[in-house]
Amino acid sequence: MNSLSHMLPMLTSLDLSSTLAQGPLPAAMSTITLYHYLFTSAALFCIGLIGFLTRRNLIIMFLCTEMMFQAAGIALIAFSRFHLNHTGETFVIFILTVAAAEAALALALVVLLFRRKESLDASVWTELKG
Amino acid sequence: MIEKLSTLWPEITLLIAATLSMILGVSPSLAIRRLCAPIAAAALVIAGLLAYGDDPRAATVPNLALPHLAQYGKVITAAIGLLLLLLCVGLPDRDYEAKLARGGVFDALRNTRGEFYAFFLFSLTGLMLCAGADDLIWLFLALELVSLPTYIMVAISTSRNRSMEAAVKYFFLGALGAATFLYGFALIYGATGTTYLPKIAEIFQAQYAAGGLSGIAVAGLVLSVIGVCFKIAAVPMHFYTADVYQGAHASVTAFLAFVPKTAGFFALMLLLATVGWASGEATTSGLPQPLHTILWIIAVLTMTAGNVLAVLQNSVKRIFAYSSIAHSGYMLVGLIAGPVVGDGSLQSSGLAAVLFYLVAYGVTNVGVFAVLASLEKRKAGAAAETTDEVDSISDFRGLCSTSPLLGWTLVISCVGLLGLPPLLGFFSKMPLLTSGIRAGEYGLVVVLVINSAIAAYYYLRIASTALLESPDLASSSTVRPVGIPTRPIAGLAAAACVVALSLYTITDFARFGAKYDLPHKQVIPAPSAPSAKEAPAKSPSAPSAPAAQPQANVPGATTTN
Amino acid sequence: MTLGAVDIASYLPVLLLMTMAILFAIGNLAGSQLIGPRRTGAVKEGTYESGMNPVGNARKRFNIRFYLIAMVFLVFDIEIIFLYPWAVTFPNLDHQYADGAVWLGRILFFMLTTIVAYIYGYRKGVFKFD
Repeated sequence: MNSLSHMLPMLTSLDLSSTLAQGPLPAAMSTITLYHYLFTSAALFCIGLIGFLTRRNLIIMFLCTEMMFQAAGIALIAFSRFHLNHTGETFVIFILTVAAAEAALALALVVLLFRRKESLDASVWTELKG
Repeated sequence: MIEKLSTLWPEITLLIAATLSMILGVSPSLAIRRLCAPIAAAALVIAGLLAYGDDPRAATVPNLALPHLAQYGKVITAAIGLLLLLLCVGLPDRDYEAKLARGGVFDALRNTRGEFYAFFLFSLTGLMLCAGADDLIWLFLALELVSLPTYIMVAISTSRNRSMEAAVKYFFLGALGAATFLYGFALIYGATGTTYLPKIAEIFQAQYAAGGLSGIAVAGLVLSVIGVCFKIAAVPMHFYTADVYQGAHASVTAFLAFVPKTAGFFALMLLLATVGWASGEATTSGLPQPLHTILWIIAVLTMTAGNVLAVLQNSVKRIFAYSSIAHSGYMLVGLIAGPVVGDGSLQSSGLAAVLFYLVAYGVTNVGVFAVLASLEKRKAGAAAETTDEVDSISDFRGLCSTSPLLGWTLVISCVGLLGLPPLLGFFSKMPLLTSGIRAGEYGLVVVLVINSAIAAYYYLRIASTALLESPDLASSSTVRPVGIPTRPIAGLAAAACVVALSLYTITDFARFGAKYDLPHKQVIPAPSAPSAKEAPAKSPSAPSAPAAQPQANVPGATTTN
Repeated sequence: MTLGAVDIASYLPVLLLMTMAILFAIGNLAGSQLIGPRRTGAVKEGTYESGMNPVGNARKRFNIRFYLIAMVFLVFDIEIIFLYPWAVTFPNLDHQYADGAVWLGRILFFMLTTIVAYIYGYRKGVFKFD
């Protein structure tokens, strides 16, 4: 691992094009930069957002929000590697936990709804309007 | 870490009570199940006393820009939590217990009493943790702990389809909001390499010195703010509010209007404190330009949308939902105005104004929803008596003559929310205005005043329906009190607070909670350079706000009179 | 941004293997089509269920109890996520400081919360199968 003095300038000016491979990594990975990971995570976040706004099936909508959570997770892992500390990875473990709690909750709600209306279509539920 | 645990006793108390009531609540014996509410009340009292009795120096989060926010937040959480508990007692399992009394067999799976109190306490624990957060991970977990239980509370608050629908809407938009601020947090971590808030503040100051915040940091902050807007029901994320408030039971609605909103404002304060209100690239108030612009737009849209949509409604719950949106907009003005370094007087510190407003709004809100929860509408004609919640404005006709206590509670709360002078709403709205003027946000102040005028229409409409019109006896449905004594008591207590707090204001405490230290030894514009040297020494009266100093010793209420 | 530094030639064996696999599959299908006998019947057309007689429709609803079991599983599943980092860190603690007891205490407290959840589930009747 690199010394602290190597890290410090990076903290103040975040150079996106600098490579993630600051530690010993296979040569083939040396050209994948932080940028690639951030692009992946931003794409995942946007796909999730668009899916959430356009789909009407409750399960799919829930999967979309999970996707947005995992997008944040990817960004955190990449940043964690970039900054050479473990904070981001710790954060991701907690995100997984919260995502699991949300999954439990979402499934419970979806089951409740399905029992009442025999449908998972969000547009069936229009009692509250005004 | 162990030292940190010692500041968490209030939260630990609530957690223990929550697990206890969760387990006791599934007991087949009614006597044991009934213990849940007293346990919750006792825990809230103990937690409040623990938080209040804490030595401020020990309870202070070191290095944090808002060192006293934790203590203030915990005390008001416990206090208003008690009011809310009073309102919620008797809600869970009322129908189910009635069925058991008629000779049903107890089934633990169908019983939701323990869960309701447990989630109630979990959510309040989250709010307390949110006030004391000093780390992004912590803040994220606290915000989720506030929200996740509320989704279930909405779902189990009544057995109607409406509550289910409200819970699902609330949950899905909540998850969207959570994902958004989570992504924002990830970007903030990326820009700074740490999740520890004081360290983040330090690095942001260094970035200022080097010529401005990095793009990633700004994007992260903006995303976080937009995500947290869900919690405070501000504009880009406000769609759920009316539906959820209408679908949930009125007692739970009161909970929703206070707890997530307060958590959201605590989170916003902590996040904005990292960039500071005294940045080098000062606009009128010191937030960095993009953040300032976005918050400005959100504040204006939130105030206006909330009030205009509220005027169009006929359902009382929807009116209060939209007015809740509008109140968030008002508070954003104080947030934009920002603090005064050091303790700051209530009149000039936007943060102190917001903290005070949160209490005022929470209390008044309990009053309104307590009245809604204490009344039910019975259809006279139907064979089996069907009851429904009161919802239309016409249900309140002549309430002051049919049940004077509830009627007057409603009138006082409505006028309090409106902000007419003798009541609490006025003394909480004034500091927002003065802090806005101090920060030079004249545009926002004008919008706030205009919106208060719009709000007068629907608040006075409700109040005058209850006060001036005569009860509608010819109607097919009759409105009468529900037989749960704690709800009117909660309403009366809230109304008493609305009156009492305006006589004896807690402004000193709000000022204490809003104490703002400059994050680290930051770069200060040349004129106030001497104060920069004193700020690290944490001198109680930083001399950077000399104009506000004479007022600082006088309670806010008397100066505004 | 490019992955140009990777030596494409080193992937030749993989390509060869994939080609062989595809050709093998096509060859077998074509061979059985050409020279295989064609006999059909009710049993042969049925769904293969590892020797059991298939019953009913594939879109059968499951008992809601499986949801509760899934939730109990989720609790333990997520608990494990936290145990791994702890287990990896614990042996690396500095022996000079008496942190060991504190670390053990923390994880025991964490396990205690799971036990509370377990008691709650038990009282709620999640583990009753009838």
